[in-house]
Amino acid sequence: MDRRQLLFGLSSAALSQLEAGTHHTAKADACIFLAMLGGVSQIDTFDPKPKLTELNGKIMDWTKEKKTDQPNLFAKPRKFVASPFLFQKYGKCGREVSELLPETAHWVDELAICRSVQSDNGNHPAAVFQMNTGFIIPGNPSVGAWVTYGLGTANKNLPSFVAMPDYRSIPFSGAQQWGSGYLPAEFQGTVLRAGSEPIRDLVSPRDVSTELLEAEREALRGMNGVFGALRADNPELRARMDSYELAYRMQMEVPRVLSIDAEPAAVKEAYGLNDPVTASFGRRCLMARKLVEAGVRFVEIFTPSQSWDAHGDIKKNHEKNARETDKPIAALLADLKQRGMLERTLVVNMGEFGRTPDTPAEQETPGRDHNTRCQSMWFAGGGMKGGSMIGTTDEIGHKAVENIYHMHDVHATILHQMGLNDLRLTYYFGGRNRRLTDLGGRVIKELVS
Amino acid sequence: MLRFWIFFLAAVLLTAQDGAEALAILKKSCAGCHNVNSMNSGLSLDSKEAILQGGNRGPAAAVIVAAVKHAGDVKMPKGGKKLSDADVATLEAWVNAGMPVPESFVKAKRRTSKHWAFQPVRPKPAGGSIDAFILAKLKEKNLTLSPVADKRTLLRRVHLDLTGLPPTPAEMDAFLRDSSPAAYDKVVDRLLASDGYGERWGRHWLDIARYSDTDGYTIDAPRDIWPYRDWVLRAINKDMPFDQFVIEQVAGDLLPNATNDQITATGFHRNTPSNFEGGIDFEQYRVEAVADRVATTGAAFLGLTLGCARCHDHKYDPVSQREFYQIFAFWNGIDEVDKEEDRKYFNRPFLEIGSDAEKAKQAKWDADVQDLEQQIRKHQESLTENADKDSKLIALRKALVDLRKQKPKLLRTLVMKERPTPRPAYIHLGGDFTRKGSTVGPGTLSVLPPMKGGSTRLDFARWLVANDNPLTARVTVNRVWQQYFGRGIVGTESDFGLVGDRPTHPELLDFLAASFMDSGWSQKALHKLIVTSGTYQQSSQLREDATAVDPENKLLARQNRLRLDAEIIRDAALVSSGLLTAKVGGPSFFPPIPPGALTVTQVVREWKTATGAERYRRGMYTFFQRSAAHPSLTIFDAADGITSCTRRVRSNTPLQALALLNDEASIEFAESLAERMISEVTGSEEKRIRHGFDLAVQRTPRAREADRLLRFVRQQRDSQPQASEKALWTSVARVLLNLDEFMTRE
Repeated sequence: MDRRQLLFGLSSAALSQLEAGTHHTAKADACIFLAMLGGVSQIDTFDPKPKLTELNGKIMDWTKEKKTDQPNLFAKPRKFVASPFLFQKYGKCGREVSELLPETAHWVDELAICRSVQSDNGNHPAAVFQMNTGFIIPGNPSVGAWVTYGLGTANKNLPSFVAMPDYRSIPFSGAQQWGSGYLPAEFQGTVLRAGSEPIRDLVSPRDVSTELLEAEREALRGMNGVFGALRADNPELRARMDSYELAYRMQMEVPRVLSIDAEPAAVKEAYGLNDPVTASFGRRCLMARKLVEAGVRFVEIFTPSQSWDAHGDIKKNHEKNARETDKPIAALLADLKQRGMLERTLVVNMGEFGRTPDTPAEQETPGRDHNTRCQSMWFAGGGMKGGSMIGTTDEIGHKAVENIYHMHDVHATILHQMGLNDLRLTYYFGGRNRRLTDLGGRVIKELVS
Repeated sequence: MLRFWIFFLAAVLLTAQDGAEALAILKKSCAGCHNVNSMNSGLSLDSKEAILQGGNRGPAAAVIVAAVKHAGDVKMPKGGKKLSDADVATLEAWVNAGMPVPESFVKAKRRTSKHWAFQPVRPKPAGGSIDAFILAKLKEKNLTLSPVADKRTLLRRVHLDLTGLPPTPAEMDAFLRDSSPAAYDKVVDRLLASDGYGERWGRHWLDIARYSDTDGYTIDAPRDIWPYRDWVLRAINKDMPFDQFVIEQVAGDLLPNATNDQITATGFHRNTPSNFEGGIDFEQYRVEAVADRVATTGAAFLGLTLGCARCHDHKYDPVSQREFYQIFAFWNGIDEVDKEEDRKYFNRPFLEIGSDAEKAKQAKWDADVQDLEQQIRKHQESLTENADKDSKLIALRKALVDLRKQKPKLLRTLVMKERPTPRPAYIHLGGDFTRKGSTVGPGTLSVLPPMKGGSTRLDFARWLVANDNPLTARVTVNRVWQQYFGRGIVGTESDFGLVGDRPTHPELLDFLAASFMDSGWSQKALHKLIVTSGTYQQSSQLREDATAVDPENKLLARQNRLRLDAEIIRDAALVSSGLLTAKVGGPSFFPPIPPGALTVTQVVREWKTATGAERYRRGMYTFFQRSAAHPSLTIFDAADGITSCTRRVRSNTPLQALALLNDEASIEFAESLAERMISEVTGSEEKRIRHGFDLAVQRTPRAREADRLLRFVRQQRDSQPQASEKALWTSVARVLLNLDEFMTRE
């Protein structure tokens, strides 16, 4: 019996506990996906291009390129832009990292970097969809939904897939970026917010005592039980009662797990919670660690929509965004490592695409535009080979030329590390077995330990 | 040597005249893959028409010679030995001679298939009935139908299935008191005649139509297409024959003297999401919408996964990539925006709807604007210098600005309209909108009976519902059956192709399809046929004897329990609590929404939470924002309004429990139900509890159930003496409205 038949027959909640399982031995139990919305410049982070210093200000010849990501921007003359950031070697692996990421740089021996990831569409909304769902159009399940569908839940009190957008600016198309698409609703990401009601409807708006709520719960359990006794082997009814129990436990458990008040001052300081610049991303990184510790399978944290989108001023934009995220990310890696969790937790850091080596010639402050031909992304922990790197771009950092990988391959790698085979993880919809990676991805083997 | 070649070529040219030799080569070396049943790259070489038509890459003449010479990317025969020089020369000469094909050469064949779904629907056998077909299969396993459900269960079931609303206590009493044999039939007739029927079955159709109140994608602006939704409700309520229902939605605009209603119906395929983000290629998203229309047509009417043939020939079913783009061509000429310059016409084409007075006002405004513009032009021409300081001109310009602000707004519903000049359609190689292959004209699937008349969208619509089309009637009755039993006779309701499920009861499927067509495609007759069957009316109690041999209950030895749909959970609570506002149609409304639900859209839209009666409308009228649909819908698996949904999954999650326990709307319902328990009954607590049960699940509590709630009430009185009566009974109501039984159709 495949998963699909089970979905017809059994309640799906029962299914996710019964049937879910790995295809092969998993290297990671959980994944924290750090979505750098807007697209980070590879040239200014992990992929130094000294040639650009030489070409800086010179006009770029685009006549040989058939296709560009932003036709309106490429219709006019463009000039090369050297990175305004200095690079330096770090770690035992001697990886070059720019001064933008001084904290993350200290963790290069834990990072597995791919500098040649390509994608299909240079528009933010379509590209963000592809990063999260594999496809450039809406309607498809997100990576976290696929993982939850494949593996089921690993905890009894919390949702299995948590999304934490930045409320200054939500990702394009909002909830669809962590939605379940055509998968059943139970696999959709649950949004957690900082504050008194982290999950929607978690708290009763009625001004009643907890004793009364507890008594109601008892009464409901009793009533469903009386009815259930008459229909003893009805799996749907059993599953319904279980889901109410889980809901009640969530009401108790979620505020406890998410409370960071009790964390030591040093931890709060490390994540940057005392600094308004880093506090938002830092708080969510710390929550991610606590959620994974409590058995949540997949946590996705988003920077504000288009935050890294440095068309106008690469220096100013990237400095601002790096300041908000670099320290919290390093703290997350350190915290996971120190708690022995990094080994079994896959951390992924990427944006929807990379950026161009050039800027419109008429522009005074140089920026960088969208580039689907290469981006530098990294994995850490979860069975990835620390200190490794793959992928080469051309001398100006315009496109990947060696060991080219695609967004589907990143997804295949995430699934692979979590014990799932992207070709076998399918769901029947619209007349065919659908996949996260469509026709299949390639695991980025060079980065897997 | 040279002389030899000249001689050889002359000989070849001579024999090439009638093409016999070239055709023999093609047959021997090429037709194994390029024939009518296996059209690799869309090319068939076994008929004259097909050869002249060519394949996906274009006319055969342009491709064959290079392919056999191995001169370009395409090298043929694939994986085989290169043709001899002589054969290549023969083919080249034949192509240069204009590819003559003898008249005796085979005429184009239609594709054939032995697959069950492509065979004609069998006529209704004498004496056939739903129960007879079901019983025949059950008998093979030594099973029989379960007894008829008790009257209370049955009434609640048929109410929820036909209208989505549970019965009121008065309706229940009337049914219980009516002991005549026709009691149940009378109920069915009453329900089919009620507005609720159109709302319930209209909503099922809107799932397929991917109906939504916003544009989708990132901007996700509100759109007015609810007139289409109301058209669906009206059509279903007046039992418009299903064939006409389809024709008007697919091509109502092309009907002779099309009425506004018929044009409004074409909103069906305008429900595709629209993208107006900055910097996009409009053509890409236009192509995406047209491709979606093909896929939806496949899922909704034909039960075929046509979408699979967008990038390549279908891997399993007899659907070529060319045929995908032939169907694509029916919508390729719609007057939709395909380039940046036309951005301001982004929601074109639309139909303006309004009263005569509103239209007159609009016409007057148009005239006034033109008049003023002309005045300005004339005055400008009369000025010689310093136009910017001319006080009359300044005044006129200001008047124009003011007038523009007063533009009267007519309701615009999205519809289909052909461009004045058609847009050529191509086969998009690999499904990529930028890679255009051979051009194609409109057409249908060769494996199905041919389209009659011409080849317009209207002819296509008529072809879909032609009585000799073996698919549309089967697919439709199967989907209706699925709503009643949780699973279709064909389990894969949108895939009747080779890898889809085979029907569990093929004769029953044909019986229903034939009955449907014989009745003049009456949906009401079909519903009545099913809900008056013994199979439908039987109890849903689990039976061990049946479960042992048929764990998924495919043979239907009992009814299935089904969790209510998202909207219906709300509707049932509205009826129980007495809050329901039974207003049919009109603009969608805004029920309370949990804080934070809207902040997850890119452009935060205003949500004007309804007050008064409007607040308590049926769930199906909830304003559907594609990028942040109301949580009460998404949490309970409502259709996403993006792609066609032919079956909703039924999931079960703790977030559902949280919503039903703590959502603002849920609390209002519980409070209102509590008020009814207090005010509509005088006397003992037991009576109030019994009334609550009646209202929520339409039955009398068992002694143990009544005792359990009574104990709860007394405990609360003791432990919380200061709590108000209302708070106490609200708690009881919350328990009732969260019972599994409440959200389940037995």
